[in-house]
Amino acid sequence: MGGYGDVKLLRDDGLRLDGRKIDEMRPIEIEAGYLPAADGSAWVKHGLNIAVAAVYGPMEAHPRKIQRQDRCVIDVRYNMAPFSTSDRIRPGFNRRSREISKVTAEALESVVICERYPRSKIRVEIEILSAEAGTRCAGITAAAVALADAGIPMRDLLVGVASGKVEGVVVLDLDKAEDNYGQADLPVGILPNTGEIAFLQMDGDLSPDEFNLAMKYNFKAAAEIHEIMVDALKRRYEGGEN
Amino acid sequence: MVALVPTLLRQELARLAENDARIDGRGRWEGRQITLESDCLYNGEGSAKVVWGDTIIYAGVKFEMRTPWPDRPNEGSLMCSAELRPIAGRKYEPGPPSPESIELSRVVDRGIRESGCIDMEKLCIVPGEKVWGVMIDIHVLSDQGNIFDACALAAITALRTAIVPAERFDVGDDYTLNVKSTPIMASFTRVGGRYVFDASEEEELGGDERIHITLGDEGHLHSLQKGLKGVFTPEEFAEIFDVAQSRCVELRKLVANQEGN
Repeated sequence: MGGYGDVKLLRDDGLRLDGRKIDEMRPIEIEAGYLPAADGSAWVKHGLNIAVAAVYGPMEAHPRKIQRQDRCVIDVRYNMAPFSTSDRIRPGFNRRSREISKVTAEALESVVICERYPRSKIRVEIEILSAEAGTRCAGITAAAVALADAGIPMRDLLVGVASGKVEGVVVLDLDKAEDNYGQADLPVGILPNTGEIAFLQMDGDLSPDEFNLAMKYNFKAAAEIHEIMVDALKRRYEGGEN
Repeated sequence: MVALVPTLLRQELARLAENDARIDGRGRWEGRQITLESDCLYNGEGSAKVVWGDTIIYAGVKFEMRTPWPDRPNEGSLMCSAELRPIAGRKYEPGPPSPESIELSRVVDRGIRESGCIDMEKLCIVPGEKVWGVMIDIHVLSDQGNIFDACALAAITALRTAIVPAERFDVGDDYTLNVKSTPIMASFTRVGGRYVFDASEEEELGGDERIHITLGDEGHLHSLQKGLKGVFTPEEFAEIFDVAQSRCVELRKLVANQEGN
């Protein structure tokens, strides 16, 4: 975490700089089936973050050595657009996006019923168009809706959500300032129906009690985001477009 | 299988062309519907989204402060870069920029650069020391045909609505970037033996060479490119050049409408 410490992130009335309560999420909007070219896709606006995910496949896995005889592999690419942040990002690979892609792929492999598609590959492309803290979570949420939109069977819809700590207080869903100057960040991927966790990262400093509270906030938020995800999928398929 | 589908598609496109018809029912010079949106990305100093038929493109403008090139101490720089990300379609693979995406970047870049719409000397902050580098990044999210025209439209719209972030770099107040003209690209693809405007993905798959024409406000040529295998006659070019003139005027009005917001 930034660890600057002297930046004020909580107001005297106990609310956060953007007026949210400590356990309040930023607004979320989701649209399923955003990209005509993809087999499944989703657009997620989470606060000022915008993530677009596309799913291609299941398709033949190339090269052959990546094939698994009993299941499919999930190939995730998380990428930030050059114009997504205040300083331009050089296009191409970097260590951060590679790591996020890897752990996101493993999280998705834990929810997709991979045994259904032996020797295949499912491509999941996550593009971050606007970044304002919380892009990996927005990306996970978008990827899960895109997989559902593509008709890929899953044990549950994976929900990306984060809590953290600012000025010694545990808060839900950090924004940019809170992420930069706060003391901890705990992004997770939650299966809301089973209560399991498929994605977990953390950095900063949390006591065991603070961790438990942050997790409680995350589970509460995951249930709310899950409803928005289901609504988006219903709108897509109940409208009679397909 | 890979070779068979285009062969059948080519036959169908040729049959349609005999009756002057297109596979999606459009007229030969008729473009698809376009929705243009500007200032749609929070962190872009200028931004645009183009939905052109089912093709979806985002463009964002960023500014960098850099030292000028030694031979041009009073000039800033402009760079236009298009990324054909693997999200854009099944056929796109991850990896270093493909020749296709480099061609796309450079053709869009030339149209904007050569039109002279940006005065490079106006991008100078301190001669010999500090100048603005303007970067236009184009992100292709969905390729369903004619990404060249859609990318060029997104790029110029983002540029024309860009704000120079001088405050953030401690060099005065933010101001609107001065863009003197609106270069517009119109592209034609040979489908079923004759040229059509704004080819769809299917027409590109079963078509031949393409010609990209970028025109300035006065109808002057600023960039031309012929891509893919095939030849054309001067008469054919004269015909599409006339169509390009009128299509570019219409597209320029779309950009002007965005600036009115």
